[in-house]
Amino acid sequence: MRSPALVIAWEFATRHRWGFAALAGYLVILGTANLLILEPGQAVNLHGSQDVPAITPRLVATVFVPVSLFTYYFVAVFSFGLTGNMAARESMYPTRMFALPVTNAALTGWPMVYGTATLAGLLLAATRFALWPSGVDVPLIWPALFVAAALAWTQVLMWMPYGLPGLRVVVAVLWLMTLNVPVVTAVDRQISESLMVAALAPQIPLAYLCARFAVAMARRGDVPDWRQNFAWLGRIAAILPRRRTPFASAARAQRWFEWRLHGPSLPVWVGILLPFELAMLFVAGNDTPALVAYTLCGALFTPPFMAAFSVPRVRKASFQESDGYGVTPFVATRPLASAALIAAKLRMSVWSTLAAWLLVLVAIPAALTLSGTWPVVTERARQLGDAVGTPRAVVVTLLGLSALVASTWKQLVQSLYVGLSGREWLIRSSTCVTLTVLIFIEPIVAWIRETSDVRVALWNAMPWILAGLVGAKVSAASWIAARLQSSRLLSDRALVMGAASWLVAVLALYGVLVWLVLGPLIPRYFLMLLAILAVPLARVSGAPLALAWNRHR
Amino acid sequence: MSEPVINVSELTRRFGATTALDAVTVSLPRGAVYGLVGANGAGKTTLIKHILGLLRAESGSVRVFGLDPVADPVGVLSRIGYLSEENDLPGWMRVDELIRYSRAFYPAWDDAYAEELRQVFALDPAARIRDLSRGQRARAGLLIALAYRPELLVLDEPSSGLDPIVRRDILGAGIRTIADEGRTVLFSSHLLEEVEQVADHVTMIHQGRIVLSAPLDTIRQSHRVGDRVPSLDEIFVAHVGMPAASTLDA
Repeated sequence: MRSPALVIAWEFATRHRWGFAALAGYLVILGTANLLILEPGQAVNLHGSQDVPAITPRLVATVFVPVSLFTYYFVAVFSFGLTGNMAARESMYPTRMFALPVTNAALTGWPMVYGTATLAGLLLAATRFALWPSGVDVPLIWPALFVAAALAWTQVLMWMPYGLPGLRVVVAVLWLMTLNVPVVTAVDRQISESLMVAALAPQIPLAYLCARFAVAMARRGDVPDWRQNFAWLGRIAAILPRRRTPFASAARAQRWFEWRLHGPSLPVWVGILLPFELAMLFVAGNDTPALVAYTLCGALFTPPFMAAFSVPRVRKASFQESDGYGVTPFVATRPLASAALIAAKLRMSVWSTLAAWLLVLVAIPAALTLSGTWPVVTERARQLGDAVGTPRAVVVTLLGLSALVASTWKQLVQSLYVGLSGREWLIRSSTCVTLTVLIFIEPIVAWIRETSDVRVALWNAMPWILAGLVGAKVSAASWIAARLQSSRLLSDRALVMGAASWLVAVLALYGVLVWLVLGPLIPRYFLMLLAILAVPLARVSGAPLALAWNRHR
Repeated sequence: MSEPVINVSELTRRFGATTALDAVTVSLPRGAVYGLVGANGAGKTTLIKHILGLLRAESGSVRVFGLDPVADPVGVLSRIGYLSEENDLPGWMRVDELIRYSRAFYPAWDDAYAEELRQVFALDPAARIRDLSRGQRARAGLLIALAYRPELLVLDEPSSGLDPIVRRDILGAGIRTIADEGRTVLFSSHLLEEVEQVADHVTMIHQGRIVLSAPLDTIRQSHRVGDRVPSLDEIFVAHVGMPAASTLDA
């Protein structure tokens, strides 16, 4: 195998054979059976209207979800995003490939050719064999070209060395946020295909030149270092008093360790996003009650939303090892029980949540004052007070705020067990399921909202659905408690105390729900089921088991 | 006779189709330096990971200080000092933070000894671990493994890839100091001349099986040819058929 093209193709094909096999299988199914799985002849457009129905859930399930998942996956594959360290300053291009006797052009060009061809081919096939036969009127060429160009620019971003650690993450987030702008613009303005092709076609050679420059830099070890520009921050930090007294206990030391490792993640993310969200208040004409409420809601939901992306996990021990998710020997050999390691994470999550909310609670009043929109909020508050009474309005506001804070902490801790298990298949499956849910949720909600029969059936079945979920939750918690007790990961006293605390939290929430929303249409048992489901139990208590499974393989 | 520090009985471990350990039985009494030698991939690290409780015994049993390291990690790990070739100390910590953090876990931590080691190893307390050279990182790892004078010091290929001065520190300050205090050292290496310098007892492992385990002097005498005492390397080749430094799994 002497050709660089073959070597690089072999590298991708061997490492990701199951992904390519799944893609091939999907394309074969699309090509041969699309008439069976779709709804031929249905007139559909991307907007949906009274005359033309919106895209059906079946189309979403059979085309949009698989194509989206394949696109995410192959963007990660062809930009080497699955194996590199995204937060590092160094290029994510694998350094072992720099030792191959091939030119920079080959190292850059072939992954780009294979990647763009794969994604463009996927889009063309989906359009030709699935969307068009279903009556979905989408252009053929430019969406495929757009995905190919998006991949090429992603490769540039991933392979470029950066001057600061973490800068690639920021750039990637901004890139992903702006990625849909051309699509939305093209659809809204109904720009012609030829114009879109003319705009997108030059992007790929341009991205190739940039990627080649990035690979050449990385290959000769030329990594810019801008950290000296921020040395003044270090000097300020050096002036601040550093704690030098010993930790009172191993548990406190571990809490400090967890905070330093994961704690600032959520407050930093919230701190980055908040100014952009609250800046909306300063735009002229944005002082209407609806827009102010919309902006404040966005700011208030930022911590729980971002918490889902800041879940503290076991860090990758090594990006080169196949067992990259295992707990590191340094942590695994701490003379601390797995339950104590988890307790440190849970406590750190509380601090992280409070720090994020402190930012929100300082930033919102500051923004309202500076933008002169306080009167809009006070007027709304007065109206609420008039409607339900001032004490009830105050309590409702405080309860809402508490629910958001609790929800932030819940988001941080309820998926701990997945990351702590250290099993790559579980972590990737969980990510895949989350992505699928995110893609599915909007069309499903729209479908339920627009179909009255479904709404009625769902409402009638709701007690049974909730009872089923409660049954599953309680069964899982019982099994976990039995395992925790038999493996001696938690003492009997800790188990009883944990169960009692959970019960108190459920009863308190039930009391609040009864006080707030009890009425003739909502029976008490319904509220009790909701309270049981809302307070975390099974997944949080599974975290010590997951860590022990990872720590003692 | 006192209870062995480590007692491994009929331990078998498989990773897929590969048998990493095959019915391994080892018993290490207190107060000596044990050299665990074998080629790369022989099973040394797998055995050590079972002793630390990082791997669960599939069959057979592992007892350290009479305890199961998986069932009672605190009881076992609080009495063990561990330094590995990987040396995965958190790069974001400063040296003084690493010391402060580590001392919280060990009631027997000796501040004076830790400071003495820090000065001997010339570790800057304000330096971040990630900015240290590989040798300095190994010294920092050795410091936190020694400063509470553990009953058992486990070193997994500690000097692999390090310069002679760091290796001297590990062998001198580490292994001999601990052993001279009547504690126990388990030291794995494929560098047999190093093992020959410090070990009292040698266990050879090959393809997951123990092929030889005896005091070093006994091994030498039993392989003596006339007046000539063969080196440990020659003895290893005689038993295994290849030098220990060759790579089976590289």
